[in-house]
Amino acid sequence: MTNKTILICDDDEGILDMLEIVLEGNGYHIIPVQNSLNLYEVIDREHPDLLLLDLWMPVLSGDQVLRSLRKNPDTQDLPVIVISASRDGQQIAVNAGANDFMAKPFDVDFLLQKIQEYVN
Amino acid sequence: MDSLYNGSFNISNETSQEDFRLLLKALDASISGIILTDNRLQDNPIIYCNKAFEEISGYDRNEIIGHNCRFLQKEDRDQKERSFLRDAIRDGKSCVVDIRNYKKDGTLFYNELYMSPIKDDEGKVIYFIGVQNDVTKRKKVEQELRQQQEIMEKRVAERTKSLKESEDYLNSIVQTVRESLIVLDPEFKVLSVNDHFLKTFKVTSEDTLGKLLYDLGNGQWDISALKELLESILPTNNPVEEFEVEHDFPHIGKKLMLLNAHRIELEGQYKDRILIAIEDITDRREIERRKDDFLSIASHELKTPLTTIKGLVQVMQRMVPPEVNDKFKAILDKTGVYINRLNNLIAELLDVSRIQTGNIELHKEEFDFDKTVHETVEAIQVATKSHEIQIVGNTNERIKADESHIIQVINNLLSNAIKYSPDHKAIIVYLSRVSDFAKFSITDKGMGIKLEDQKKIFDRFFRVGDIQQRFPGMGIGLYICDQIIKNHGGSLLVESETGNGSTFSFTLPLNIITA
Repeated sequence: MTNKTILICDDDEGILDMLEIVLEGNGYHIIPVQNSLNLYEVIDREHPDLLLLDLWMPVLSGDQVLRSLRKNPDTQDLPVIVISASRDGQQIAVNAGANDFMAKPFDVDFLLQKIQEYVN
Repeated sequence: MDSLYNGSFNISNETSQEDFRLLLKALDASISGIILTDNRLQDNPIIYCNKAFEEISGYDRNEIIGHNCRFLQKEDRDQKERSFLRDAIRDGKSCVVDIRNYKKDGTLFYNELYMSPIKDDEGKVIYFIGVQNDVTKRKKVEQELRQQQEIMEKRVAERTKSLKESEDYLNSIVQTVRESLIVLDPEFKVLSVNDHFLKTFKVTSEDTLGKLLYDLGNGQWDISALKELLESILPTNNPVEEFEVEHDFPHIGKKLMLLNAHRIELEGQYKDRILIAIEDITDRREIERRKDDFLSIASHELKTPLTTIKGLVQVMQRMVPPEVNDKFKAILDKTGVYINRLNNLIAELLDVSRIQTGNIELHKEEFDFDKTVHETVEAIQVATKSHEIQIVGNTNERIKADESHIIQVINNLLSNAIKYSPDHKAIIVYLSRVSDFAKFSITDKGMGIKLEDQKKIFDRFFRVGDIQQRFPGMGIGLYICDQIIKNHGGSLLVESETGNGSTFSFTLPLNIITA
């Protein structure tokens, strides 16, 4: 067990389920967040080691979330990997201050490899 | 004139006798026939004729003298000229008629007859003098001329009718076409517009005709780039094609118009007019944009559950216990392959939509072309046991291009080569530098492509007929490849022979490194 905490923010329940299965199987502590509006509060409380963030979400989009995280001294260094099915996702993610980007659908092995780069 | 009596001369004075002979000779020398008739005698008979009259009529003097000159008309009595003559004789006036006469041998001749009365001191008509000319030739020419004229008039009428018909025909096309048309003179003044123009811009022909193009509306066409293009049409005959004008037009609001302009010429009449065709593409562009948005959203929504499925299948693959049979593992592997295929189809649909609307975005970055090709080929080779892909040569170039798009093209060409050569193991990739281009070629030994199909394979949704049955697909892969390569300033070509395999080659310009 690595005891690292990974926060996953995605409005799609299937993605949350799948990532939880994949990542818990690899020893991570997972906190799924389906509503991006709750994200700040969860980050405050849980102090995650990494955030996996979707882009297209209702009300508050991933890039909006990311921009405000980068403005806040407490969260500006939090590693964020954006995961999106949007073709322009990479550009949007980089512009908003993401550490990395993964296009949906992705290879599980590749995701695990990326996560390790940021949590260790 | 008392010396002239009953057709013989009785002259007493010697000198006047000399003069008289001279006068008679003169009369006989005339080429006009001359007669005298005596109005005082019964039936107004001819009492004198000269030589020329004998020649013209074909009669001898002794057959002429003493007869009324109507014998010249023979049976052809129903001539209106005869009544003119009768009236002139009755009224003692002179007249000129062209009358049909007949020679002794029956030959028709036209006689231009001048008749003039000779009156006594009391004004009573005693003689008529008739001067005749054979005008048959002139008449004939006149008649021919009249016939010619009639034929010409008939032809002109026919041509006018057919011109009118073809004008009506063309005009109905011009008025029916759903594109606004304007014709300009060399000074860019409007000569004519069609109905569709008036309807589209909600203007009247009075607002438009004779006005300068640049003054129409609120100077809506007064665009310097357009001006420059239009001004070069007449001197260079270079047409303006697909020029877009976005403008807030009076009466109709903000519209996007597509302009095409050509010099028009009518042989022998003018070659200094400009035809502008204007198409309102506002709605079309909006529909394209919505379709693009829709496809973006649809592909995003389709990819989301696909991501979940893919992740879960991969977890399953890792969780397979060692004692499970191979078939179970193979099923999981196949599921993974089809998930990837589904993902590619979704991506292609979005690509097609973007290419069509010109929204393909290139994120160009410099990369090592040879390395990318090797990595892409290796990734495919790992998953392909049926074929052996060999790479020959190298470019030794770094290029600036959208790497993911180039990989997409290479993947597409590789999978086509594999797909369409099921019975031949070897596939060769050639890399080379040609002039200032990097060149990639891929050769298979498969079924090849018929010549007539080679031109069409880059068309959207085109599938070779008999291929459709055996190899399913949407027919957009090569279309996307072609568009991607074109967008990079290169070209994609095919060389193939039925049964002898195919070679697909693309080039990428090296100078885009500095771009």
